[in-house]
Amino acid sequence: MPAFKTPFNGYAVKFSPFYEQRLAVATSQNFGILGNGRLHVIDLSPAGPIAEIAAFDTADGVYDVSWSESHDSLLIAAVADGSVKLYDLSLPPTSNPVRSLSEHTRETHSVDYNAVRRDSFISSSWDDTIKLWTIDRPTSVRTFKEHAYCVYSAAWNPRHADVFASASGDCTARIWDVREPGSTMILPAHEFEILSCDWNKYDDAIIATSSVDKSIKVWDVRNYRIPVAVLNGHGYAVRKVKFSPHRASVIVSCSYDMTVCMWDYMVEDSLIGRYDHHSEFAVGVDMSVLVEGLLASTGWDELVYVWQHGTDPKAP
Amino acid sequence: MATNNSQPSGGGPPPKPWERAGGTSSGPAPFKPPSPGSTSDVVDASGTANPGEIVPTNDANSALNRNTLGRPVPARPWEQQPTYGGAAYGSGLGGYNSGYGAGGYGSYGATGSTYNSGLYGNSMYRGGGYGGLYGGGAGSSMYGGGMYGGGMYNSSYGMGGMGGMGMGMGMGGMGMGMGGPGGPYGDDDPNNPFGAPSQPPGFWISLMRVMQGFVTFFGRVAMLIDQNAQAFHMFMSALLQLFDRSGLLYGELARFVLRILGVKRVPNKVHPPGPNGPHGPQTHIEGPKGAPPAGGWDGVWGNN
Repeated sequence: MPAFKTPFNGYAVKFSPFYEQRLAVATSQNFGILGNGRLHVIDLSPAGPIAEIAAFDTADGVYDVSWSESHDSLLIAAVADGSVKLYDLSLPPTSNPVRSLSEHTRETHSVDYNAVRRDSFISSSWDDTIKLWTIDRPTSVRTFKEHAYCVYSAAWNPRHADVFASASGDCTARIWDVREPGSTMILPAHEFEILSCDWNKYDDAIIATSSVDKSIKVWDVRNYRIPVAVLNGHGYAVRKVKFSPHRASVIVSCSYDMTVCMWDYMVEDSLIGRYDHHSEFAVGVDMSVLVEGLLASTGWDELVYVWQHGTDPKAP
Repeated sequence: MATNNSQPSGGGPPPKPWERAGGTSSGPAPFKPPSPGSTSDVVDASGTANPGEIVPTNDANSALNRNTLGRPVPARPWEQQPTYGGAAYGSGLGGYNSGYGAGGYGSYGATGSTYNSGLYGNSMYRGGGYGGLYGGGAGSSMYGGGMYGGGMYNSSYGMGGMGGMGMGMGMGGMGMGMGGPGGPYGDDDPNNPFGAPSQPPGFWISLMRVMQGFVTFFGRVAMLIDQNAQAFHMFMSALLQLFDRSGLLYGELARFVLRILGVKRVPNKVHPPGPNGPHGPQTHIEGPKGAPPAGGWDGVWGNN
């Protein structure tokens, strides 16, 4: 499948949970350091080039994007000016963003939509906090402030509507329950900053964390003294980690070593695929929920690749 | 929010693969069972809701029970500004980012001002009242009091000693929040060029904007390096090694070229142990080399 060229540097890519051919891409100018951002929504076509459905400009870089699980046209973007913006594809560009939620005092780095209850989402920020938002309220419902350093990502448990995990630069991952005042679990998961975390889709007690120490660790929150698995193979910090929606033990990750790797943490030779199609840092990766084995990645080389696992991402 | 009526809108996305697969395999998870109802209701019912809370940037590490690590947490890259007078200024910078925008542009109104606290902008330009309210508060009183609050502008609003209460006297509130009644910054400055209540000074606004841009810029660059510490370290060490090696390389090259050009190196001061041993009679150091003996070049390298 041909690659899609974005004008800015890619930061995140996400498959739509409603349409198998649709993706959203978050990009930032000048590597996200200074300048504007743009949110692209693109459609794959079986034989032709990738078509852009919509694009929304922001006054600062877009670091992450998440699709709504309740409305097929709704998108949520984490913007570097600290805001969380909601976009509705069914409205004309002039009416977008439909909402801009400015409460974080520093860059918002990730956003994740609750796939179980489908009425809320969380955002994590460099101001050390995570905020819980619902679609029906103009302000955050509550703020989780316990991390002592930037929170790089937060992810809902795919099977439990009230539980989510966060990964922070304070070298811990924390498990939270929105009904509890503080975190319910603290995992001192790595010796270096933790950049990403994700839940196993088939076992709601298994979590994966990725870190600046180049490793991915898989943890069982019922017994988190030792990791279930340690996946080594990336050459630099691992920027994002994601469990497969289709296979219980399959993980995909992307790294500052410019590669996208696929792992099976249950088997001994856990590295089952490595793609080095990016020519700059690979910072965004996703797996399709609707099509098994379909992967997407983006990076600072301003390209978005979509390919089937096992094939060459660069193949036309 | 309007929905697209082309697909299962309202009903949510197609079921996830893991939902079709059924329950988990490895036993119960250590979580409380999910509560029924919407997320906002659940959170409200739990009593933990705190709508619209804004966490001041300066509050960063001060909250209790934050660091359960038992090891020091690294300072934020944008706080590491030792050349400007250590922690005080550093944290001021942190506040700067968040605070200034609110004050200067006023578009955030009350919200902005709350976390802006004593910073600089809020009370002075727009939300005078809030400055008063929060001026005495935490954090950036460094700026509010010391730098701008006091010396520059505060005096024009003066009202020294109104402390945190004065609604109308924003700047006073800030400056005083720190200094207290009659504090060092409260007194009117006879040389004050600004009449009360002055217009927002455009120059300072633009200066602050530029500075904020700088701070954001370096903050983000630092974060990138931070996230990528190993890559950066490797790059730098590779660069240094290259310089190191290139020195050696050019040294070797120079020697080679000079040798080809026929320039002879000055022999070593210490004569190498020759055929006659280290203390042999042939100790003429500077003497010319004789023609090779009959054996040609044999034995040039030592005893044989």
